[in-house]
Amino acid sequence: MSDHEPSKVGDDLGLGLTVPDIGPVDATGRRRVHPITPVVQAVSVIPAGIFLAFVSGGSILASFGLGAFAGAVVIILILAGIVLAFGYLRWRNLTYWFDDDGDLRVDSGVITRKERRLQLSRLQAVDVAQPLFARLFSMAELNVEVAGSGDSRVKLQYLTLSQARALRNEVLARSAGLSEDAGEAPEDVLAKVPPKDLAISLLLRTSTVTLLLASAGFLAITVLSQGWGGLIFAVVTGGVPILIVVSEFLRYYGFTVSDSPDGLRTRFGLLRTETRTVPPGRVQSIEFVEPFLWRRRSWVRVRVNIAGVGNDEGNKKVETLITPVAPKDEAVQLVHRLMAGLDLDALEWQAAPERCRRRSPIQWRQIAVAWDALVLATRRGRVTRRLAVIPHARTQSVRVTQGPWERALDLGTLHVDTTPGPVSVTAPHLDAALAWQVAQEQSDRAHRGRGTDTSTHWAAR
Amino acid sequence: MADLTHDAFTYEEGWTAVSPRLITARRISLALSYLLVVVLIVVLLWVPDIPVWAPVTVGAVGVATFVWLWWLIGRRVRSFGYAERGDDLLVGSGIMFRRLVIVPYGRMQLVDVKAGPIDRMLGVTTVQLHTAAATTDATIPGLVPEVAAALRDRLAAKGEERSAGL
Repeated sequence: MSDHEPSKVGDDLGLGLTVPDIGPVDATGRRRVHPITPVVQAVSVIPAGIFLAFVSGGSILASFGLGAFAGAVVIILILAGIVLAFGYLRWRNLTYWFDDDGDLRVDSGVITRKERRLQLSRLQAVDVAQPLFARLFSMAELNVEVAGSGDSRVKLQYLTLSQARALRNEVLARSAGLSEDAGEAPEDVLAKVPPKDLAISLLLRTSTVTLLLASAGFLAITVLSQGWGGLIFAVVTGGVPILIVVSEFLRYYGFTVSDSPDGLRTRFGLLRTETRTVPPGRVQSIEFVEPFLWRRRSWVRVRVNIAGVGNDEGNKKVETLITPVAPKDEAVQLVHRLMAGLDLDALEWQAAPERCRRRSPIQWRQIAVAWDALVLATRRGRVTRRLAVIPHARTQSVRVTQGPWERALDLGTLHVDTTPGPVSVTAPHLDAALAWQVAQEQSDRAHRGRGTDTSTHWAAR
Repeated sequence: MADLTHDAFTYEEGWTAVSPRLITARRISLALSYLLVVVLIVVLLWVPDIPVWAPVTVGAVGVATFVWLWWLIGRRVRSFGYAERGDDLLVGSGIMFRRLVIVPYGRMQLVDVKAGPIDRMLGVTTVQLHTAAATTDATIPGLVPEVAAALRDRLAAKGEERSAGL
């Protein structure tokens, strides 16, 4: 990285609260995450603790007196001590280093010891994430994801921001077979989502609008019938979408996509910020989502499946996005960076037959499948249109399914299986013979596609 | 079965059906699960204040579904099968909800061979293929253990030959 250009990966709140970097643990180059990690982890539960103290503390004091209150305080302090001690042990037992083969090794665990080896040639993505409290101290966590079944990620929590950046660069450089001190690659901003567009787009999503209309309906019923039952529903149907809109707004605020030799970088977040780098050729499938009320502005959301990312972060599913909202032609341009040679306009769509109307009266006109030398694409949905694209070389398996109703109409559903993620490549209720023929051919195309695929050898570009 | 032979869901060339022993295995499991229904009826008969039509209804419904499921197992198991082709494996199943999966050998990540206690008693085994996609549902139940082991080894060898990362 040149001196005049500041790093684009991660940021702090500009408070100047920094902690010194720490050196390696021993001569073999083993490292530890930063020693104040247990404190930062503890700090992040303080707001919840204070809230709990206010809620329950007052009632304990009022109903049981000062003695019980003091007892409760002591218990809480002891619990906090245990949590801190455990955090300290976790920190003590976590070491990471690069082994002789250039792979990232992580040893961790207090009660159960775990030794992990991440084969960096199979790197899928690197994230630098900064929860608000880590940002306060100018710290960050690094998530490294490799291809593999089950839990194949490593989370290093917390490093100083400069160490997280350095480690990220080293991981990317090693995985590309470059020298380990290659520095941060320059970036070229492709798109930035204005906060206003993000807010409007979230409000105009089909689910938001439907739920808000439902709450308006419940409110109307409540007023007209002068009963209070409807209010309970209105609180849920009104509250849920507002919560979703607010949380997605905070999460995707300032969404920026940029291109760099490392791969495609996305940066987002208002309170918690994240920088994700996806090396080229790691995208397994892509989907354009176009809710009904976005169409007038010709906006789309672009989602992708990346092996190992977004499907096993605890229990919550994380939507891997290329952009939360963008004008259609801009989105297509972005996707071109991920799949060179993709030409959506030249695809020849094979539509579902007219008898499909009896199975899917609303969306039947939209359903279609298409393919060219590079990709297979499916189109479906009337209210929310979905267009999914999968390169032949990324096809895992192909399925044709047929339910009783489809069978009566001689229809069949085509699925092209891709790695877990938000995108599913499905063309429902096609003509059964067509579905079967496309499935057969797709298996051949997948076989040939893999033979000629060079997108994963990206260091050679 | 004649109506099945001329559509996509039965691939004629090289199609291997699963062992009919699986029918017995599944019918035994069905009978075991219906023991619960029998117990329920006996309990109902013992409770004093329950009108007699209650256990009779439960019994009639139980017998009817039992006979239907018994028959269905035969048809379903006969619908299971697979075909090893040049570059991929075909797995088919289902009567009401039919499904046909094509798994290219190069995409297989691992092959599971497993058998529950009843299956072991009767000598049937299940072979399951996994790819990097969680939605790949390629399960071949009801193979004779030797056939299953041989299939696994062949698949593993073919997978190795054609393996191509992700």
